[in-house]
Amino acid sequence: MSDKPKSQTVLVVGGGIGGISAALEAAECGAEVVLIEKAPTLGGRVAALNRYFPKMCHPTCGLEINYQRIKKNPRIKVFTMAEVSGISGTKGDYTVTVSTTPRHVTPACTACGDCAKVAASEVADPFNYGLAKMKAAYLPHAMAFPMRYVVDPSVVGTPEGQAIKAACKVEAINLDEKPESFALQVGAVIWATGWKPYDPKNLTMYRHGEIADVITNVEMERLASHDGPTKGHILKPSSGEAPKKVALIQCAGSRDLNHLAYCSRICCLASMKHAAYVREQYPEAEVDIYYIDIRAHDKLEAFYRKAKADPGIRWIKSKPSRIEKGASGEPVVCGENTLTREVYANAYDLVVLATGMQAQSQPPAGAQLDDYGFVVSEEGVFGAGVATGPLDVSMSVQSATAAALRAVQAVRS
Amino acid sequence: MNALSPTPSRAYDLNFARYVYENIDGGERLRMCMQCGACSGSCPIGQQMDHGPRKLFMMIRAGMKEAVLTSNTIWNCVSCYNCVVRCPRKVPITYILHDLANLAVREGFDAAKKADNARFAKAFMWSARKYGRTDERLVTGIYYFSFGLVEGMKRGMGNQKIALNMIKTKRMHLGMPHAIKAKDELQKILAKAQEIQDRHGKGA
Repeated sequence: MSDKPKSQTVLVVGGGIGGISAALEAAECGAEVVLIEKAPTLGGRVAALNRYFPKMCHPTCGLEINYQRIKKNPRIKVFTMAEVSGISGTKGDYTVTVSTTPRHVTPACTACGDCAKVAASEVADPFNYGLAKMKAAYLPHAMAFPMRYVVDPSVVGTPEGQAIKAACKVEAINLDEKPESFALQVGAVIWATGWKPYDPKNLTMYRHGEIADVITNVEMERLASHDGPTKGHILKPSSGEAPKKVALIQCAGSRDLNHLAYCSRICCLASMKHAAYVREQYPEAEVDIYYIDIRAHDKLEAFYRKAKADPGIRWIKSKPSRIEKGASGEPVVCGENTLTREVYANAYDLVVLATGMQAQSQPPAGAQLDDYGFVVSEEGVFGAGVATGPLDVSMSVQSATAAALRAVQAVRS
Repeated sequence: MNALSPTPSRAYDLNFARYVYENIDGGERLRMCMQCGACSGSCPIGQQMDHGPRKLFMMIRAGMKEAVLTSNTIWNCVSCYNCVVRCPRKVPITYILHDLANLAVREGFDAAKKADNARFAKAFMWSARKYGRTDERLVTGIYYFSFGLVEGMKRGMGNQKIALNMIKTKRMHLGMPHAIKAKDELQKILAKAQEIQDRHGKGA
């Protein structure tokens, strides 16, 4: 064999379900692992889901098990609020520059919440996709890992910041923290940078943001979550009332050459899951699913069959052409039913757009990308999870495990 | 008559789809249609179409040549391009409908020759060819009288008030039709256009 790799460390970028899985699998094979995450907590978009399909279990359960594995494994080092700003070198010998954003809260934090009590100003809450606001001193969400508060940079240098600092009994607040950067020597890199929901503002015909009761599938997850802005009650954003008629629109952006040319794979099942949320909370409610064709691959067919058997769910084979605003501001879904040739205009209390999965806008430095911005694995640099293309959670974990295996091979040969 | 597309006598012509893909303007992208219905749902006058573009495209695939070329869908398109903008497969629906209308006339389908829009287009082109301009009175007159003498008189009389108002507001003039100066240049352009069309295998 040729030269041994200079570094046997595996860097995993992104702490969602893919990154966590890749980091754990590599570390449990004996590799040294550095896991870096941009947000203040691990868990990524999975942590913001209410339930998984097809078993309808809660993601917090699986994440909790993985957090325990991370805590118990001395080979994993986790950096939150950190990003890769540069990468150079070749397989076995990469130099990676990591930049950190100040959290202003030290590991001494006990997550008692005293700081949040004195914080007055509010900031946008990305965990709830902007459906709610949060205090400028906040815990990102109830299941955050690390379980540590964050002080928003907007209050640093203000009297409010001083009050927040003074409220902390364990003196865990450090308002003098500055952005930093450091270099790492690693032998292999796994990009697990995940995805973002396709921006519904691009879908001008569906008028998200203009008609209050048109929401996206990720927003629906937050409305259905017990720790979400409505404490788990699915309510119309316009009035706070319970919806009686709900439309779920598939392929909002996906399979569309004007938007995302590919199928995002998860939306059909996610929408059937949303239909189940609505039917469970409001047994009288009617749900209409608008679809081009349903893509419930392999074992997920059973979930589809179950949804088909529910008399409260209507299936309309049609890509709606537009949403109009009704007389009292309600969304009216318009289009052609392709089975009956009927041109319809149906009013609803709530419309959920099944927006697709898009690659993160900031391309991973040094990684090779396909036409759609997803990572293509090559020698020493691997993609894991949704960074490689649309996947559901279980497929993402499989992809991450495969990437971990390749990374371990790369640093050992 | 010219049998441009295959075997016009049969109700189902299995070569018709291929003919459309290869010869109709924008037809090559018609292969991409996934029958989602965004076009028919977007159409502002979709309710007035017998089939709508989506179903018409399926009929093309099924080889229903006569049904396609006698459909009112190909004539009722108003070229608003809503469907073209929204089509997830970038099918140039408007072009396809217009060229199918053209084909229907060339193939001599009675429904096509008698279509309202075909009559109007004929009158319009006559004026454009002759004067290089459209003369409202002549275009309207030819169009109205294409329905017969009695019907032409009836329609003409019915619009008398509008015509007088148009003259009053100088939207229409009395006297000889206005013509462009270089009519021979226009004839050359039109001849060239015809030549290009013929070269693409669509002319008689």
